[in-house]
Amino acid sequence: MNSATSEPITKICVIGAGVMGAGIAAQAANAGCQVVLLDVVEGAAQSAISKMLKTQPAPFMHPKFAKRITPGTLDDIRLVEDCDWIIEAVIERLDIKQKLYGQIAPHMKPGAVLSSNTSTLPLEVLIDGMAAELRPYFLITHFFNPPRYMRLLEIVTGPYTDPDVSQRISEFSDHALGKSIVFCHDTPGFIANRIGTYWLHCAVSEAIKMGIGIEQADAVLGRPMGVPKTGVFALLDLVGLDLMPHVLDSIKTALAKEDAFHALGPAPPLLAKMIEDGYTGRKGKGGFYRLNTEGGQKIKEAIDLTTGEYAPARRPKIDAALAAKKDGLRATVEHDSLEGRYAWSVISKTLVYAATLASQIADDIEAVDRAMRLGYNWKWGPFELLDKLGTRWFERKLKSDGQDVPELLLVTTGRPFYKTVDGQLHHLSFEGHYRPVHRAPGVLLLQDIKRKNLPMAHNSSASVWDIGDGVACLEFHSKMNSLNPFVLSMMNWARKELPKRAFKGLVIYNEGTNFSVGANIAMLMITAKLRLWPIIRWILRHGQNTFDKLKTAPFPVVGAPHGMALGGGCEVLLHCDAIQAHAETYTGLIEAGVGIVPGWGGCKELLTRWSQSNHRPGGPMPPVMKSFEAIATAQVSKSAFEAQDLMILRPHDGVVMNQDRVLAQAKAQVLELADGYRPPPPIDMHLPGPTGRAALELAVRDFVQKGVASPHDAIIAKQLARVLSGGDTDMLDTVSEADVLKLERDAIIELAKTPKTRARVEHMLKTGKPLRN
Amino acid sequence: MTSPQTPIVIAGYARSPFTLAHKGGLAHTRPDEIAAQVVRGLIERTHIDPALIEDLIMGCAFPEGEQGFNIARLVGFLADLPLKVGGVTVNRFCGSSMQAIHMAAGAMQMGAGEAYICAGVESMSRIPMTGFNPMPHPGLAERMQSAYMGMGETAENVARKYGLSRAQQDAFALHSQQKAYEAQTSGRLDDEIVPIKTATGIVSTDGCIRHETTLEALKNLKPAFDQNGTVTAGTASPLTDGAAAVLVTTQEFAERECLKPLARVRSFAVSGCQPEIMGIGPIRSSQKALERANITVDQLDVIELNEAFASQSLASIRDLELNVEKINIDGGAIALGHPLGATGARITGKAVQILCRNGGKWALSTQCIGGGQGIATVLEGL
Repeated sequence: MNSATSEPITKICVIGAGVMGAGIAAQAANAGCQVVLLDVVEGAAQSAISKMLKTQPAPFMHPKFAKRITPGTLDDIRLVEDCDWIIEAVIERLDIKQKLYGQIAPHMKPGAVLSSNTSTLPLEVLIDGMAAELRPYFLITHFFNPPRYMRLLEIVTGPYTDPDVSQRISEFSDHALGKSIVFCHDTPGFIANRIGTYWLHCAVSEAIKMGIGIEQADAVLGRPMGVPKTGVFALLDLVGLDLMPHVLDSIKTALAKEDAFHALGPAPPLLAKMIEDGYTGRKGKGGFYRLNTEGGQKIKEAIDLTTGEYAPARRPKIDAALAAKKDGLRATVEHDSLEGRYAWSVISKTLVYAATLASQIADDIEAVDRAMRLGYNWKWGPFELLDKLGTRWFERKLKSDGQDVPELLLVTTGRPFYKTVDGQLHHLSFEGHYRPVHRAPGVLLLQDIKRKNLPMAHNSSASVWDIGDGVACLEFHSKMNSLNPFVLSMMNWARKELPKRAFKGLVIYNEGTNFSVGANIAMLMITAKLRLWPIIRWILRHGQNTFDKLKTAPFPVVGAPHGMALGGGCEVLLHCDAIQAHAETYTGLIEAGVGIVPGWGGCKELLTRWSQSNHRPGGPMPPVMKSFEAIATAQVSKSAFEAQDLMILRPHDGVVMNQDRVLAQAKAQVLELADGYRPPPPIDMHLPGPTGRAALELAVRDFVQKGVASPHDAIIAKQLARVLSGGDTDMLDTVSEADVLKLERDAIIELAKTPKTRARVEHMLKTGKPLRN
Repeated sequence: MTSPQTPIVIAGYARSPFTLAHKGGLAHTRPDEIAAQVVRGLIERTHIDPALIEDLIMGCAFPEGEQGFNIARLVGFLADLPLKVGGVTVNRFCGSSMQAIHMAAGAMQMGAGEAYICAGVESMSRIPMTGFNPMPHPGLAERMQSAYMGMGETAENVARKYGLSRAQQDAFALHSQQKAYEAQTSGRLDDEIVPIKTATGIVSTDGCIRHETTLEALKNLKPAFDQNGTVTAGTASPLTDGAAAVLVTTQEFAERECLKPLARVRSFAVSGCQPEIMGIGPIRSSQKALERANITVDQLDVIELNEAFASQSLASIRDLELNVEKINIDGGAIALGHPLGATGARITGKAVQILCRNGGKWALSTQCIGGGQGIATVLEGL
């Protein structure tokens, strides 16, 4: 252990195979590392791995990644010898942790880093008694549960931590683990849990104090405040009620006497009683909410906070909550009702707490906001919420309530915490000056570009932006980023205009919740109801032509998805020259769910991918069967790595772990492809024709008999079989891309004529869920 | 029917362990490799001079991919058989390697050679049960759906036609598992198994047997092929990897070469039936073979009836009026597994083995065949 090294991190050891340790190990495996997972209990690490393979949502991005983890016990401590980074995630007991560090230290290779995943113990205390030569290599890396899905990583360094070490770990965590790093001061609970637990505790005690029902409380805190739709009580059920007293205790013990946390009082007695009775949340018999299955039906029930009795949960329409929809958050907290007063009480206390603490716990307010967004899934951080309410308004309201105003609020002098200056987002420093919001090097965000520039072209559903270096970006921004004629028209604009303006290529990317949920099927429903078959045919052909023009454009097109890329959204990707996908990309051709087959070239593209693949048996059937299986069962990848199995991602496509780096990667690939670019030539295929259809129909028959496919599924599958087998072709003849596109159109028309397909479309539009009929 | 002019004998039997497709120990080993090791093992155990073998006849139900080309010839090369020994691949689906025995016996009756290796192989892990390229004749598939019907559906049809209850099938399957497990633990399966060298180690035990199964567990399984049906994964033979081989010679050759003739091939038969109830195939084929051997069912001491499914086994037992005590004494395919092309050689070899072990006179091995056929062999103890 002589000096910090910049060698890449390829092998990680996690000690402690509890939920967090195992989850961190899985994410390290997802990142491509070799991982050692050790636990004090014999067999615990192995059983944690097995359990994770059955957990949903899955900790592994691909089941095969589990093999990257070597399980063991502390007797195997020598396994840390070739590890670059050792993460301690054992029980929150100082003596145990310190003793463990002593055990690990002699086995660490020079330059290796040791970090603790503690959520409550200060670094200052952890390094007490630690060998001086280890201290530069020690820091706190605090992950959030579940480690794969929560993007926040809090990093705490101490006075002895080597800055190169913290940079090495933060860069690796950013690039490889996909985390957004927030550097925190060494204070109890760091940032997110300090404010988050205060908020949860406050919401529960105020609800009891004010006598408000939990459904009302959740309704008024959920959507208006921009927290997950679970609200507070359902969130606690999810986290586990039994965790609450522990976390409260440990934070409170560590906090100074005058901290506002103490004013909230102890955990309510009801909580202790619920835990005692086994109501520990979803993992137990239920929590604040429970599912009553007595009498054969599943009835959601909610607890009465005063009596402790359960009654059927209501879905109340709360005026105070609805007010936010129309007039913003201020309308909710000003609402003259019990719910309005409750919202004000919880939100104001939480925001005051955050404002009071900010300078003690974080480098700037942006760190606090980001921690709450990424660690607690708030839509807006506390200072963004304050901007929504208006800093001046908030200050006055506090004053009129006779409350103290936090100093930070006075520093604003009525100015917002965030402001765009010269096309760049700035935040207010603790001293009252606007400073640019820091982005990690290499991060490119469309939201930043949008602050600087106007789009080159735009309409209600899509825009085209200049993202520099001769690369353009097509952004969807329709409702749920669904694809409609306006989106297509932006694609056509890009196809026509970009070459004229000497652009080198195009990225298809956006920063919405999802890349795209697919084609807008409302038009299909209306036209099918009116039996306007020629119009449906035209819509299909228009989409096919548009996608084909993008594919054959004289410039490279790179798709850069994240989240859901379904149906038409997946078809867009299939027509791109390359894909740079965020690791959390959920993609597939799910058209069967709405009673149709992919009709914008999805069948054609998946077929050609499988036809050209070497990873399949020879002969005319395998490409057809592989495509059929994926489309008929509407398979959706649970990660970008699974999309490789589905052949939606090809070997030359990339998986990007950090969502903030997707655009930059995609842009880089455009530039790489642009030099000497030639559009892909059209592909002629040999498809089996009627014999292939017959084979697939036999398989479908078995599925219906088995009861895994409905009779209407069979009708859809038969149409799909016709498309994928090439219609009436013979395997010695060639089938062109245009032939398959025509088969796609024919199949959709046939299916649109069936009442059951129309019922599926209608149901999806009404409920957002597929109908099995 | 007169008895054969040239007495034909089975002079050796060996097989690989049978392991579950996809997850078993042989899943990652090529079928030609498994078969070659079994052929080699049979030669070593019988001490036959390989130069005296006329032909290697190899049964395989899906002879493509790694089972493609002419796998029999390639297995000959892999097993270091002298180049002058021939190799032919035959396909009668599940009846393939029993067919191999019949072909050898028939050829020797014609004076064409004195010794044959009759083997069979199937890797159901590596070559899917419909092949990689199922390409049915569209017109036939339309006109006669049963021509390409899945085996599970035919098992349901048989269950329905014979009124076989779920409970009867479950009980039959449990019994098969118990017999196989008992045979395995008491070492009665050891002699026939040739340990197979794989990339990850030697596989020397059967992997399909579920000794832990109970009637309760079987009862709780969902129907596997028809949501309203009675056939489950527990009452069907599992997808299996494996190979089996028997040495078939003239009796005179066996004696001259100091081999150990185990039993005489007395008669055989094939028959066709409706494809949608292919499971009843053993009934007519067995009747024909018994008639040709001029014996009756009551005279049989040993019966190897392939358990493709419990339902078709029960139907065959009922119509043939077989004595249940004498059937599949060391367990059947529901427990041991059913690598399609290999099963015919296994059950014929097994019938001969039990005949020698228990000292009986007459044995029958018979099986049903997808597409609507049955095949049967009558063996006579020496």
